Amino acid sequence: MKNNISALMDGELFEDEAEALFDGLKRDSEAHRDWAAYHLIGDVLRQPEYIHRDISGRVRELMRNEPTVLAPRTRGISQKVRNIGLSAAASLMALGVVMWMSVQITPETTPQLAMQQTNLRPASLQTQSKSNDYLMAHQEFSPSNDMNGDASYIRTVSYSPEEKTQ
Amino acid sequence: MRWWVGWCGLLLLGNGYAAVGQETDLDWLKTVAFAGHQTEYSGVFIYQYGNRVETSRITHLVEPDSEYERLESLDGPKREIVRHHGRVWCYLNHKMVQIDSQQGRAGFPSLLSDELSALNGNYVMKDLGLGSVAGYNVRVLLFQPQDNLRYAHKLWVHTDTGLLLKATVLDEKKQVVEQYAFTQLKVGGDFDRPSIMSGMPVGKEDIAQSKAAMNTTVAFNSGWVADAIPVGFKKLTEVQRPMRGKHAPVTQLVFSDGLSAISIFIEPVDADEDDMEGLSSRGAVNLYHKVVDKYLYTVVGEVPPRTVMQVLESIRYNGR
Repeated sequence: MKNNISALMDGELFEDEAEALFDGLKRDSEAHRDWAAYHLIGDVLRQPEYIHRDISGRVRELMRNEPTVLAPRTRGISQKVRNIGLSAAASLMALGVVMWMSVQITPETTPQLAMQQTNLRPASLQTQSKSNDYLMAHQEFSPSNDMNGDASYIRTVSYSPEEKTQ
Repeated sequence: MRWWVGWCGLLLLGNGYAAVGQETDLDWLKTVAFAGHQTEYSGVFIYQYGNRVETSRITHLVEPDSEYERLESLDGPKREIVRHHGRVWCYLNHKMVQIDSQQGRAGFPSLLSDELSALNGNYVMKDLGLGSVAGYNVRVLLFQPQDNLRYAHKLWVHTDTGLLLKATVLDEKKQVVEQYAFTQLKVGGDFDRPSIMSGMPVGKEDIAQSKAAMNTTVAFNSGWVADAIPVGFKKLTEVQRPMRGKHAPVTQLVFSDGLSAISIFIEPVDADEDDMEGLSSRGAVNLYHKVVDKYLYTVVGEVPPRTVMQVLESIRYNGR
């Protein structure tokens, strides 16, 4: 039986043989388990994102062993639970907002190396746009102007204040 | 076949000899600078620094009396810089505004050859031979600094036109600080000038206004000095200039070693500038601000962070 199942999965059975095997599988629960196990083995070997595994039996079994709580739930407790839940949600949200803000504010441009060297605080948003003026004034005289032409202005363009205010 | 290999060997040997003579590389740089100004081209290049990559289009046209350059960002919100008639325009808040006037570079190319001859003492130049960028044949040149106060520069120069098709700035650990490379390029031929130049502010009042702005920048001896300017940096200019959002004119000193420049800005402290202090960077350019005795010092340059900091700390007033 097992050999037949394996052969079927490899596509090595003739149609009539396969039909017979399917009939057998329907009646024989052990053969059915083998069929599932072989597929699981194949899946694991292929390392797909999802593996089909029937855990309903085990869950049912575990549920049967769980004690059933029969005590009635009081309204007070549920209110309290809800309050805790709400405040937890609120603080989570606040945390989210703070994190979102820090993501927005932290200039990704702050040079890692430079920060490590000097422990200076990161430049503020306003500084970014102010820096552009110094950069432009510097660029005017820099030899990189002759080498790269306008491309050297990319350093300014890539940090336009417009982009930063978004 | 053996004959062919021998011939290639000879060619390689020839290249090796060329690399010994530094004049060759200087000539290449002159070609690059000349080509950048005198060639009409349009292309798309990628610019990368840190973990950011951006794509931009650049168009460069030559007019009888001036150059027209347009740099547009192809990623994200509209960002654009136009350089025309020696003035720089920037697309800000949904309109083109003039942000700077250029007069310091009018002396090209005589100014540049001075800078180039200074290169010899500051960098070791290596000819790394031939390669290709975006399908074009290029010559690869490496400029290795003699100290750790400047970056190494690697240039890929188009062998036919002399245009710089790729450039990287490397730190002392040979890590790429920033780089840009053309992915598509059109050199010469027909350009649709009217459509390229559309949207350019050409009103008379604009030009008059910018002329007035140009006249307010004056060369003078400010009395400010910086003792720790790295060896090989020569003073290019010393000017007093107006700056956007500043009440008083700003003193600017510019030094160059041929490949990079360091600018020093000195100005009286305005109202809310204590938040300016600190180090920041734009690709290979580092900026360092510090308030000292009611003056805001700013040092900007295509040099490592330690260099701008060292220079700033050495600024002092020497008297006129």
